[in-house]
Amino acid sequence: MLNIKNLEATIDNKHILKGLNLNIKPGEVHAIMGPNGSGKSTLANVLSGKNGYETKGDIKYNGESLSKLSTEERAQKGIFLAFQYPLEIPGVNTNIFLRTSLNSVRKANGEKELDTLTFLKLIKEKAAELGIDEKFLSRQLNVGFSGGEKKKNEILQMKLLQPKLSILDETDSGLDIDALRIVADGVNSYKNKDNAFLIITHYQRLLDYIKPDFIHVLSNGKIIKTGNAELGVQLEKTGYSNLV
Amino acid sequence: MKQYYDFKIEKIKDLSSDEIDLRKKNLDLFYRYGFPNKKDEDWKFSDLNSILSKNFKNIVNNVFIPKEKNLKLIDEFEHNFISLLNGRLISSDFSHEEKGKISVGNFNFKKEKNLDKKNSLNFLNHALASGGFSLEIYENYKLKRPLVIYNNFSNSLKETIVNYKNSIILNENSELNLINYIDNSSKENFMVNTIENIKMKKDSFLNNILINNSKCNGYFYKYIKSDLEKNSQLENYLISSGLKFNKLDIEINLNEEYSKSSVFSALNLVNDEHQEIKTRINHHAPNCNSFQKIKNVLNNESKGVYQGKIFVKNIAQKTDAYQLSRALILDDAAEFDAKPELEIYADDVKCSHGSTSGSIDLDSIYYLKSRGIPEKDAFKMLINGFLGEILEKLTEEKLKNFLVKKLERQINEH
Repeated sequence: MLNIKNLEATIDNKHILKGLNLNIKPGEVHAIMGPNGSGKSTLANVLSGKNGYETKGDIKYNGESLSKLSTEERAQKGIFLAFQYPLEIPGVNTNIFLRTSLNSVRKANGEKELDTLTFLKLIKEKAAELGIDEKFLSRQLNVGFSGGEKKKNEILQMKLLQPKLSILDETDSGLDIDALRIVADGVNSYKNKDNAFLIITHYQRLLDYIKPDFIHVLSNGKIIKTGNAELGVQLEKTGYSNLV
Repeated sequence: MKQYYDFKIEKIKDLSSDEIDLRKKNLDLFYRYGFPNKKDEDWKFSDLNSILSKNFKNIVNNVFIPKEKNLKLIDEFEHNFISLLNGRLISSDFSHEEKGKISVGNFNFKKEKNLDKKNSLNFLNHALASGGFSLEIYENYKLKRPLVIYNNFSNSLKETIVNYKNSIILNENSELNLINYIDNSSKENFMVNTIENIKMKKDSFLNNILINNSKCNGYFYKYIKSDLEKNSQLENYLISSGLKFNKLDIEINLNEEYSKSSVFSALNLVNDEHQEIKTRINHHAPNCNSFQKIKNVLNNESKGVYQGKIFVKNIAQKTDAYQLSRALILDDAAEFDAKPELEIYADDVKCSHGSTSGSIDLDSIYYLKSRGIPEKDAFKMLINGFLGEILEKLTEEKLKNFLVKKLERQINEH
């Protein structure tokens, strides 16, 4: 599904990714761990097409080169990024945002756009699954939401848009144990043989709930070690310093 | 500079000789000053004289053509209406309301007392005004449906100025949702100069909404003076994008205790549109409340101006006054000027103001795009959110939906 070859990324003259290789197949869950400043978020941003990065190397998504696709085209083709810091957007109603988002994706894929009633029924179901109060949906997007509510809202968007590749950028940060469990359940219930996850995290604890097939350690812009779920447990004990 | 205007009082019918004398005096005063220009502090960001001389070869005052246009009614919500054509009262309909609770008629020039003369446009209005309406809501009557004032202008108004006056009185404990609706798509250049006087008695409530429906080549100036008695409440909503030039000159006098007023404005200006909101809020009594939230989105080479003054008299203790102006400037050639002023003579008050202008937040755009929303739609969504926020307080659902849609259309048409 995703093949990254020798990826380099530079922003504001800072060379951050320095030749990263990663292959993700449908049905797999990959975790990327690594110390602060190793390039984890940069990888997420580059994959979603954020402006401002100069890149070299090659990223293929389902055989297609990503470099020419805009952020919205990537999203329409099934790449989803759950933000580390979801933005607060005053004046934009959450429901309207969600419907516009879903319908933009549907439209780009030649599917019929959902009318308001059908949409509301759908979103209520999805929100209930994540224990999100309906009232949140009529509030302004993320405005005044707590950290946990914002993250749940990201997972709600993921479940609504049904992406093929979901990138979770430190979705566990700022979550209490209950919220963490809800988020993890949300991910686990969505996981199937056709979609894949790239989970970026600092800590093992999210991986206690979402079991990864692979763990990669990112350091200084490169993946320096890859292992199975055991690697996470080991890192929790020894830290990164032994590897770096 | 060559004078580009020619006004004749003789065009106005049925005037007594006293009236003619008074109008002549006003016209002389106008001729002495001409149209306001940037040397006048109140007009320093909107040099009307220069704008008009560039866009008009000649301006004459209008003659009433009594030909009724087909009135296109708003069908999104049930309403009463007053229909004006070139400032003249054509028809009115209050079939949703009880009989004997409302009076409406032509503006009565004979009853007119000294309206404040603030600038030469007011002189010109006093000299040339004909038409307009008087509306009075009787005690304890709350209108069941909104009232729409259809301000129509015929397309033949080439290089012509229309002057008229309106008077609105809300008696004790009455309530009205008023929508001033301008609908014109004339390509000819014309000018409209209006004076509106609003009197609000004790415990009355007014939502005063100004909306422009279509783009036209009109140059508008409106002076609205509102006087509020005890515990009355006035809420202004200004959504008047699409006019070539528009200046809304709003004076609100909080004359008695516990009166409240707010001004919410959302303008999306494009091309070379020029729009100024000027507010002067006079706190003349203690325990009053005023709030202004002015939002502008400036595209192309448009220009937006906000001049807002809050005046607090020495006896007006416990005043709570707040003013906020926010502008999004989307093109290098666009301009926004803000001039906030506080003049406070009481010592136990809460008064503040804030003004920001900047460009659109690109991280927010990125966030929306990352959800599959195309860039153009993402911009519109943010602009909609930015401007639409001012309508939040409106409780009348159908009316609110109507305004939300109009605002969206103003943004989407660009």
